[in-house]
Amino acid sequence: MYKEIKDDDTLIGIKRLSDRANIPLDPANTDYQEYLAWLAEGNEPEPADEPEQQLIGE
Amino acid sequence: MSKTLNLGIFADDISVDNNRDVTLSNLRSDQPMMFRNRIINGDMQIDQRNSGSAISSHSTFVVDRINCALQGGTASGITVQQSSDVPSNSEFKNSIVYTTSTGGSVGSSGTYGVQQRIEGYNFSDFMYGTDYAKRFTLSFWVKSSVTGNYGIGLRNSAKDRSYIATYSISTANTWEYKTITVSGDTNTSATWLSDNGTGLDIFFSLGVGTNHSTTSNSWQTGNLFGLTGGASPVETSGSTWYITGVQLEEGTVATPFEHRPYGTELALCQRYFCKTGQNIFSGRGNTSSAVFGITTPVSMRSVPTIITNGNIVVYDHDSHESSSTDTVTASGSTTPDGFGFRCIVSGVTAPNNRVHAIESEDTMTFSAEL
Repeated sequence: MYKEIKDDDTLIGIKRLSDRANIPLDPANTDYQEYLAWLAEGNEPEPADEPEQQLIGE
Repeated sequence: MSKTLNLGIFADDISVDNNRDVTLSNLRSDQPMMFRNRIINGDMQIDQRNSGSAISSHSTFVVDRINCALQGGTASGITVQQSSDVPSNSEFKNSIVYTTSTGGSVGSSGTYGVQQRIEGYNFSDFMYGTDYAKRFTLSFWVKSSVTGNYGIGLRNSAKDRSYIATYSISTANTWEYKTITVSGDTNTSATWLSDNGTGLDIFFSLGVGTNHSTTSNSWQTGNLFGLTGGASPVETSGSTWYITGVQLEEGTVATPFEHRPYGTELALCQRYFCKTGQNIFSGRGNTSSAVFGITTPVSMRSVPTIITNGNIVVYDHDSHESSSTDTVTASGSTTPDGFGFRCIVSGVTAPNNRVHAIESEDTMTFSAEL
């Protein structure tokens, strides 16, 4: 299973949940290739965590 | 005073003058004295990931550059581990051992064995997929508790070109030296990568299902890496299979194993996997993340996957607050030579604040394996 990694709503990587590996969006990276194959099988990653809301003055 | 040496059949190839200078007449330019061996860590010495501990999961590296397959059949309790069991009176310090606790059927889709993928940059001079494809010779030491004929699968990156080489174990539990010469793939329709992808995939089969098995000694179309009717030690409870001294070199002659300097071999491994010690990094933060720079020991094959052993603690130098995370990706503007890594932390940093990061545990690993 995988989970999206976002920074300010921009997808910047994929987390492989089995070993907490942080996978870059590089076509030459074999972990990313495996993720794309997993996606092609019809699977979907978990959405990225929502960023914590920081209130002014908090 | 000079001495006359009887060089016999080599007299035309070797001459020694009165200064005892030796001249070799027929050195082949296509067989270099160094870096003959295209296998990295063929003596199984470097184990950055496990430090000698056993692995038991499919698609896991037992030592550097040696990946293990152990899935698809009914065998269980399989472990693979670096070992100090080596051929007697040999120059090797280590081997790896593949142990099957409870044997089981391989079935049609079982995949058991050990593998190394040679990068295209390190194999392109073999000119596969052309009329000039070169022969190579694979040599290694092996010891198995199960006798029989074993298959070695050789494939391209697309897994649509395959060759099954074979060797025989005639005596159980005895180290044997094997050499196999393989003809080049001259099929000009075949695609063999010459970049940072897989150039040649070598798979020492210890049990491959019928879906991926075929006959030996010819290049074939398809994803094939096992020998039909070949030995399958994973079907035998308590079986062991050892290997070391793996060398793949151009030509038809197996030369002695090439022992490269340890630092050189380690650097070759680090192109595919490396790790930091406990470090402090300086960088810049914003409201959702912080970016740090790191230079790896050598240029990595691709932008790496990062795993943190524990959390990275990010301190905001300006606000004096901190946060921690294990979500650390290679930054988008990175290259394999050295790169930024981005820690996803929120609520700590303000735009462009100065930050530093500390690994709370002992390592952060970078993997760009094939």
